[in-house]
Amino acid sequence: MASTSISKAERSYIQTSLQGSPPLRADGRSLLDFRTVLLETGVAPLANGSAKLNIGKSPHEGGGGTEVLAAVKLEVEDVEHGEGVDGGRIVCSVLCSPSAYPHLSSNALDELQYDLTTLLHQTLAHPSLHPPNLGILPHKKAWLLSLDAAVLTDAGNVVDALFMAARAALWDTKVPRTRAVQYRARRAAPATGHEGADMDVDPDQDQEARSGFDTRDMVRTAADFELPDYWDEGEVLGGRRNWPVAVTLNIIPPLHFLDATPPEEASTSLRLILAFSFPSNSPSSLQAMRLLGPAELALPQIKSLLADGERHAQELFAALEAKLQDEDVRRNVKARTRFAVR
Amino acid sequence: MAQSNFDRRRINGPDESFPPLFEADEEDPVHNLPRTRRGRSADDIRPIFLKAGLISQANGSAYIETERTKIACAVYGPRQSKTTVYSENGRLNVEVKFAPFSCTRRRAPIRDAEDRSVAVQIHQALWPSVRLELLPKSTLDIFITIIENDGIEGCIASGSVAASAALADAGIEMLGLVVSCAASTIGKEIWLDPTEEEARMASGSLILSGMPALGTITNVWQSGRLTPEETIQCMEACQGRCLDIHTVVAQALLDNAQVT
Repeated sequence: MASTSISKAERSYIQTSLQGSPPLRADGRSLLDFRTVLLETGVAPLANGSAKLNIGKSPHEGGGGTEVLAAVKLEVEDVEHGEGVDGGRIVCSVLCSPSAYPHLSSNALDELQYDLTTLLHQTLAHPSLHPPNLGILPHKKAWLLSLDAAVLTDAGNVVDALFMAARAALWDTKVPRTRAVQYRARRAAPATGHEGADMDVDPDQDQEARSGFDTRDMVRTAADFELPDYWDEGEVLGGRRNWPVAVTLNIIPPLHFLDATPPEEASTSLRLILAFSFPSNSPSSLQAMRLLGPAELALPQIKSLLADGERHAQELFAALEAKLQDEDVRRNVKARTRFAVR
Repeated sequence: MAQSNFDRRRINGPDESFPPLFEADEEDPVHNLPRTRRGRSADDIRPIFLKAGLISQANGSAYIETERTKIACAVYGPRQSKTTVYSENGRLNVEVKFAPFSCTRRRAPIRDAEDRSVAVQIHQALWPSVRLELLPKSTLDIFITIIENDGIEGCIASGSVAASAALADAGIEMLGLVVSCAASTIGKEIWLDPTEEEARMASGSLILSGMPALGTITNVWQSGRLTPEETIQCMEACQGRCLDIHTVVAQALLDNAQVT
């Protein structure tokens, strides 16, 4: 999003090459090719879910490319007295490392962070994507899911990288299992004791247990929760197939291309960012659309760009799904078999 | 004992205060989703009042009011860029400020991320329309003050209309007047110009900005779940409505020009 400054000659050179037949790009890719995408999940052990994504790492020198690290942290929030919302809420933020943008002043860096944060938050925190298992105790406690993404280096196409890393981190997120606990007075003693119990209220005991603190409703609703000891870190975040992927279409009329390097980004006068969600049993939906740049579009052009964008997003989604399944296998199944062998 | 958000420049009220809870507020607004729109039809937009030239100190200004969205816009420029970097094209700088009393909850007077997100969208809506190549080394400052806020979509749409009218009032050369319209999908219907509650109930919202004089689109902002077909329907509905808004803006500017 932050463009490097290039000369008019270089800009014209890049534009002419792209509009030529066949279209030429500096690294020999076709218009719709992505650079190599490297993805690893589970990189932050203290986070509930994390992912590190790198687009365009050069295989020989082993550096460069756009690198984004996304991590999900779950915290408990109080619904009655705090800022919690019944059913949980999601907050996203993007941090741009100053080493990724050495030419930007701190104000400009702040503004870039704001813009990327707003884009990610408005898209991912929308109620239509809200996962079903972020509540703990209805009207009392709920999870706050904080998704923090850090842009470590930027070699172009940072928006696509952010959404992919966010999707991978959310895929990897495990919500700790909770068990509701309620306090019940002992039958025999007049003073109130307590014992942990499940949500199921025993009807026989209920009629006889009465304490000074007992108002009819409070006995039925759990007052607190505990984390039972479990062999895994929790259950997966619900609705994880619905998280969107984004494609940035760089438009030099009449064509568009994907995955631009910084000089290519500086040469395009218009960029269309589309985030699509592909749920398993519903038609695909558009979750975000943004336009950037001093050029204008006609409605028929936008329609065809939408159709193209959906196709590109579909391919990206399929590739990302395959990789995430692979990661699941690598981290869980293979680790278990290795453990069993030992 | 000063709290961390003690503002030395202003007279601070009490540390904690709660708004009164009325019985009507107890019902959860999300659940009573009215199947038909209250007060107007699905493609009606709220009536627009637009007047240019109200801020005499600025080079150009406009005030727009649509029911509960009230926005004042002032344009200063073209004036010399403060930065030493030579820029061949002029710079368009949009700053948005929400008045502390503009929303149901008081907003702190400091600039925050929401101000910037509205400013970025208005900037994108206006950027293709202003002939910045005629203004090298210059900056156009557009200051937008939101006096009453009825939903972010309404603010962005009305703000860009006001800003474009103010630019025209300032005599800046443009390719065309920019007008915006917002739309929300509620169930199967598309409601144009949603209020804050309608937008919150909606499954998805879209704001379209364009220049009806040239038939082009300068900015599209979409959020929420919309199928691509619904998106195109929303865009077409908005574009049709933009033609009407354009006549209102043009008329307001003509009236102002005839008076002075």
